Amino acid sequence: MNEDYLLSKRILLVDDEQELLDMVFSILIEYGFQNVKTAKNVKEAMEQAEKSRPELAILDVMLPDGSGFDLMEQLKKGGDYPILFLTARGEDDDKFKGFGLGADDYIIKPFLPKELLFRIMAVLRRSYKGENPLVCLHDSQIDFSCAEVIKNDEHIPLTAKEYDLLSALYRNAGRIVTIDALCEAAWGDNPFGYENSLMAHIRLIREKIEQNPSHPVSLVTVKGLGYKLIVEGK
Amino acid sequence: MKSISKLIRRFVGIMTLSTILFSILNVAFFAIVFVKNTSTFSPWDMADHVAAALLLTDDCYCISDDVMAKLKEENAWAVLINNDTRQVVWQTDNLPNNIPMQYTLSDIAELTRGYVDGYPTFTGEAQNGLLVLGYPKDRFWKHTRASWDYNFIADLPKNTIIILAINTVLIFLIYVAANTKLLHSIRPITNGIQDLSSGSPVCIKENGMFFELAKKINKTSEILQMQAEQLRKKETARANWIAGVSHDVRTPLSMIMGYAGQLKSSKNLSEIERKKASVIVRQSKRMKDLISDLNLASKLEYDMQPITMKQENAVSIIRQVVVDFMNMDIDDRFPIEWKTVDTLSACYINADKDLLKRAISNLIQNSINHNENGCVIYVYVNDDNNTCKICIEDSGIGASDEQIDKLNNTPHYMVCDTNTTEQRHGLGLLIVKQIIKGHNEEILIGHSEYGGFKVELIIPK
Repeated sequence: MNEDYLLSKRILLVDDEQELLDMVFSILIEYGFQNVKTAKNVKEAMEQAEKSRPELAILDVMLPDGSGFDLMEQLKKGGDYPILFLTARGEDDDKFKGFGLGADDYIIKPFLPKELLFRIMAVLRRSYKGENPLVCLHDSQIDFSCAEVIKNDEHIPLTAKEYDLLSALYRNAGRIVTIDALCEAAWGDNPFGYENSLMAHIRLIREKIEQNPSHPVSLVTVKGLGYKLIVEGK
Repeated sequence: MKSISKLIRRFVGIMTLSTILFSILNVAFFAIVFVKNTSTFSPWDMADHVAAALLLTDDCYCISDDVMAKLKEENAWAVLINNDTRQVVWQTDNLPNNIPMQYTLSDIAELTRGYVDGYPTFTGEAQNGLLVLGYPKDRFWKHTRASWDYNFIADLPKNTIIILAINTVLIFLIYVAANTKLLHSIRPITNGIQDLSSGSPVCIKENGMFFELAKKINKTSEILQMQAEQLRKKETARANWIAGVSHDVRTPLSMIMGYAGQLKSSKNLSEIERKKASVIVRQSKRMKDLISDLNLASKLEYDMQPITMKQENAVSIIRQVVVDFMNMDIDDRFPIEWKTVDTLSACYINADKDLLKRAISNLIQNSINHNENGCVIYVYVNDDNNTCKICIEDSGIGASDEQIDKLNNTPHYMVCDTNTTEQRHGLGLLIVKQIIKGHNEEILIGHSEYGGFKVELIIPK
């Protein structure tokens, strides 16, 4: 899968600890992000946001001149882009407040670099899905912007449910997504009782994306637990 | 209040039983006294006896010596009044001086019914006359005007019952009236004692007959509240201290984990150096888990972690935890096998979703932590009529019977109230136990059929 377009996104990193800023900066740069800016407080963050017009912000909650929650509200006024919190405050109330204000993810310190990168990429993939030219699978490609699968030069349209299911699987590409999470993605908050419908839709998706739906290589079953979408190059 | 009505019921019961008991005792007592007095001696019988014993021989009356002796013993006197002349024709030697010797008909009627000059008299029919037996003045009391209406006698049983019933009601009313004030005084005291036991603050008006007791209860409540407040402050300070320390450690630990993580996958380092970085990452992660566990265990211990119970699908929750671990286990050293039967897609229980997730995560993490060489972890949910069983077992090194016994019975140092240097089990299992306790669930620790460790959680549906 070509995710280079995500690596070119402008990222604003805000934390009052210089050493932590340096470390996260180095993790992001090492992974391939090209536009990462840092700020140590609310004032610097606002100036940087005006200058660099970020496409993703990673904020600490406790900043010397204000709260990360307030900063998020101010940043949101300047543009609608995803915001993650990276904080030592792990209380449920803080998490709920962050998500309640519209945060896209809430990462509690300490964290593993891989976990941080995965969650940043998941948020970017979700937020900038429309910009992705094509998602490459073993036997086909998915074009989310047109809601279709391209297999053997044939354009096969996806139904709304198939699109929802593939989106949920793609957001977690390479990872298992539970049956319940997929049912919730397709049928909403009360997904119980849709397991058979899910199996039917998975079968239909396989017919569209796999060369041999009976022996799937891109959309694999993890028995009793869920499904995994294997994306090429990831 | 329940105890007041119970008190009244108890009193009425005791009163009824006492009344019955006293009535029986009284009747028995009077019966005994009556029988004793009447069976041994009756002045009327005595008069008849003397009259019969008085014999007329040769115009002279005489009486046997033994009857005479009996009269003397009783200190009684006797006269015989002739039927025709109404004059005394015979008399005992001890006849008082002022006893008349001539009687009119009205005198005879009077003495028959009552007294002669204050002496109680009894009569018996003798030969040609009337024998009058007189006793000392203070020997007998005579009811001289006895006459009963027949209806009164006929209604006597009914009237007795009515009077008894009225008496009982009156006694009860008198009791209630007399004790209402007492009960009113007791009520705030009993309420106060009940509130004390529930830990609520108590403030009783210090007046009435129990004002001293009220004062003591208020004082006790004050002391209890003060102690509870001090304890709460201590517990909050302790939990906040742990939360504060864990917060302060998070940022430096992030840097250790972050840089070690980078070094671990750095291509510029040798294999040995990368392995060293792996150890730092692994140990940092243990510290991260420890901080998180310590924080949660402290909150659960001091009831600072709210438990929000909702109807949740246990299968869905456990499945998500398993999948999260499977997604994390990159080197595949700890494969997890989902052994729940395919037909079981839902098992609804009343639980706090996040805490239950945490408990299951801790149990899976325990299998990982204690099996350095890797193991297969088996997870399944079983719907067993009224309970939902969640089982986590592994094929690892397991534990001896003694260790399992300790895990089941030895408290963690965090909740142990005795000083000991003995190493206790990790915080992970303590949290599981605390969560299970909060959910009124049951935890069974034992050996797995796969050779390792097994933990079973039994949750009522």
